[in-house]
Amino acid sequence: MSSAQSPVNLTAARSLAASPFAKALRSSPILGPLAALLLVSLVFAIASPNFLSTGTFSLILQQVMVVGVLAIGQTLVIITTGIDLSCGMLMGLSGLLMAGFAVRSGLNPWLAILMGIGVAVAFGVLNGALVTGIGLPAFIVTLGTMNIAWALKRIYSTSTITIPESMGQLTFLGAPIKVGGLELPPPGIALLLVLYAVAWFMMKYTAAGRSVYAVGDNIEAARLAGLNTKRILLGVYSVAGLAYGLAAMLQIARTGVGDPNAGESTNGNMDAITAVVIGGTSLFGGRGSVVGTLVGVLIVGVLRTGLQLMGVQPTYQVLVTGVLVIAAVSVDQLTHRK
Amino acid sequence: MSTATAPTALLEMQGIGKSFPGVKALEGVHLKVRPGQVHALLGENGAGKSTLIKILSGAYTRDEGEIYFDGARVDIKSPADAENLGISTIYQEFNLAPHLTVAENIFLGHLPKKAGRVDWATVRTRSRELLDSLEVGLSIDALAGTLSVAQQQMVEIAKALNRNTRLLVMDEPSAVLGERDIDNLFDVVRRLQASGIGIIYISHRLKEIFDLADEVTVLKDGRYVDTRTVADVTMDDLVTLMIGRDLEDVYPQRAGKPGEVVLEVAHLAQAHLAKDVSFTLRAGEILGIAGITGSGRTETARVLFGADKATMGSMTLFGKPYRPRSPRDAIDRGIAVVTEDRKRQGLLLKLQVYFNVTVAGLSRLSRGGVLQLRQERALVAKWIQNLRIKTPSSDFMVVNMSGGNQQKVVLARWLSLGIKVFIMDEPTRGIDVGSKSEIYQIMADLADQGVAIIMISSELPEVLGMSDRVLVMRDGRVAAELDRAEATEERVMHFAVGQVDLVG
Repeated sequence: MSSAQSPVNLTAARSLAASPFAKALRSSPILGPLAALLLVSLVFAIASPNFLSTGTFSLILQQVMVVGVLAIGQTLVIITTGIDLSCGMLMGLSGLLMAGFAVRSGLNPWLAILMGIGVAVAFGVLNGALVTGIGLPAFIVTLGTMNIAWALKRIYSTSTITIPESMGQLTFLGAPIKVGGLELPPPGIALLLVLYAVAWFMMKYTAAGRSVYAVGDNIEAARLAGLNTKRILLGVYSVAGLAYGLAAMLQIARTGVGDPNAGESTNGNMDAITAVVIGGTSLFGGRGSVVGTLVGVLIVGVLRTGLQLMGVQPTYQVLVTGVLVIAAVSVDQLTHRK
Repeated sequence: MSTATAPTALLEMQGIGKSFPGVKALEGVHLKVRPGQVHALLGENGAGKSTLIKILSGAYTRDEGEIYFDGARVDIKSPADAENLGISTIYQEFNLAPHLTVAENIFLGHLPKKAGRVDWATVRTRSRELLDSLEVGLSIDALAGTLSVAQQQMVEIAKALNRNTRLLVMDEPSAVLGERDIDNLFDVVRRLQASGIGIIYISHRLKEIFDLADEVTVLKDGRYVDTRTVADVTMDDLVTLMIGRDLEDVYPQRAGKPGEVVLEVAHLAQAHLAKDVSFTLRAGEILGIAGITGSGRTETARVLFGADKATMGSMTLFGKPYRPRSPRDAIDRGIAVVTEDRKRQGLLLKLQVYFNVTVAGLSRLSRGGVLQLRQERALVAKWIQNLRIKTPSSDFMVVNMSGGNQQKVVLARWLSLGIKVFIMDEPTRGIDVGSKSEIYQIMADLADQGVAIIMISSELPEVLGMSDRVLVMRDGRVAAELDRAEATEERVMHFAVGQVDLVG
């Protein structure tokens, strides 16, 4: 009978919620993800002798570059209690079009990039308009646009579009910089960090950023406090679209191809959501930060790279990330229970 | 079987105490109910009645005190514990599954089984028996969602009886019913009583207590006041026990010299509830709006604040036409609202004090699009001090504050913007008595500074004690406008319900 179990479970949850650990997490939510990042790094440093070499950190950053930018958009959406399932697919579509416009249609590569980003932004606006205008749940709206974007990719091209070396504008962000004999990380990583800095500043120091948190905590109270909640939500989904477009630019730069399969593996869509959640942003809205997401992205990156270095198959990497998401959300839920 | 001639107590609660962060909700409360007794629980809003019955039903666990059931000490830690003892609670919000039938609802979670399959024959016979015993003519196959409120209530009672309930707690069961349904309910309660079930009956309506109850326990501000035999008390006695203080002490004295007309409302209508509302509001005035729930008070307030659009009528604010399209419009024109439901419509509960205070005025705190955090901190600190908000810091999450302090945070939000017209919908609901008088003092000070205040309240003493003028609403219209001098509890009630003898 459940009657015998529930008091025990409740007591356990309450005592966890009241523990000093939980209090520290509630007052400084970034502590948890940071501790987790240190922990996984430590584990790999001990388990794999190659892990501490100089190249590893650069490798991790390169690997998380694309997911990292995706996750910025996803963070904003999740703070407003939404979810964006279309993020990976929009990135895939946007990147495929960038390559296609430049290579197949012969457009100026810069223009091709802009147009590709424009498509992602347009889809973001569509997501936002459907969520605010008709009041559909974000899950359903983005499930729809995810499928639409998937189909549009296939309709546009079923084969991979290889970017020729002459179109360096499309790929320079992903290529390592060579200064003399020294190889520096690709400029895309600088872009990643700049985008995080901008997003962090916006969320902390502008009225727009505050409004996003307010809408996420309680949309009706936010409206009655004079915020234009529809415009804020529309803005969030649009900015998220922009992030996916920028991620697409990094993605084709890294791979050198426009790929109709891009954004479909777990390494696209789901890793972004995973990173946001591991980074301490609450699926219940109103709580979270892009800094947390960056830490979450790094945790995913360290895990993947570390397991790779240890020779673990990719399938098991996915398995571990799955476990991690559930663990992260459980900790969030239990520390905030009343 | 009990051997004593006087039936022993079915339930005895002794010295019950319960605290929430920042507020002591209950302290030293006693309650004793015998089998076959209707025991009324009486007290103002925020007196602790709900907290007490939630402890009894296992929704909360007590911090202090003892509970005895059938003379044995018991520990109620969960709703399942309460159910196993035979304690059922019927809340104001019913707990029925709308898409299931009456019979399925009666057996929800307790379906009998025969050879591993649901024994529908028993479900149907037993459901019919239960409804017959309540003398309710209801089809057991009707979907719960299609029933009237009164019928749903009967299904809830049948559900409780099916679980062998020995103590039935009813939280304001008459509040949702019409006159005729109330008579029915009383008949049912009397039948339950005759069958030996103990009943805790909560109601604000004193008349019902005299009609129905054997004993009455009065709570005030979370404390036990007294238990009396109903036959030995008068209505005045009960009112004194409930209020228990001189009204003069609670409500601040004011100079009360209203100035210019700031707001004129003419023939305003909104949807079905506000039909034709006209009034004027002056600077430095507190205009009380009384009326029962559903009389159109809150709907009027929402139109004034731009939360809903008027379907008819016109408004003039500071001599200019006023037609707000959003709360933002209203705020920019100097009107603010303190909402009835603080937690759902007022506060960002999981965000900090400073966030909640400045959320409506972020553009004023921005320079070149960048928030001036230092300036923000200073502003928030000032209002924490001015309103004596009790909080460890401006980073404290408002969800952990007491009701009174939460309300002050809402007030600080609007005061920091220099609001000139305040609409306060139930401004002291769920607030302890100490904070109440502080809120009253803030309102009085504001009025003395020339701020115009509309106070909507269901607590008559508060309306009478605070208002310069009282507007009584009934059925979406202004039924009466009374001066402070001519407003008495009886007159206001008379106009609010449209008949003379409802109170007495």
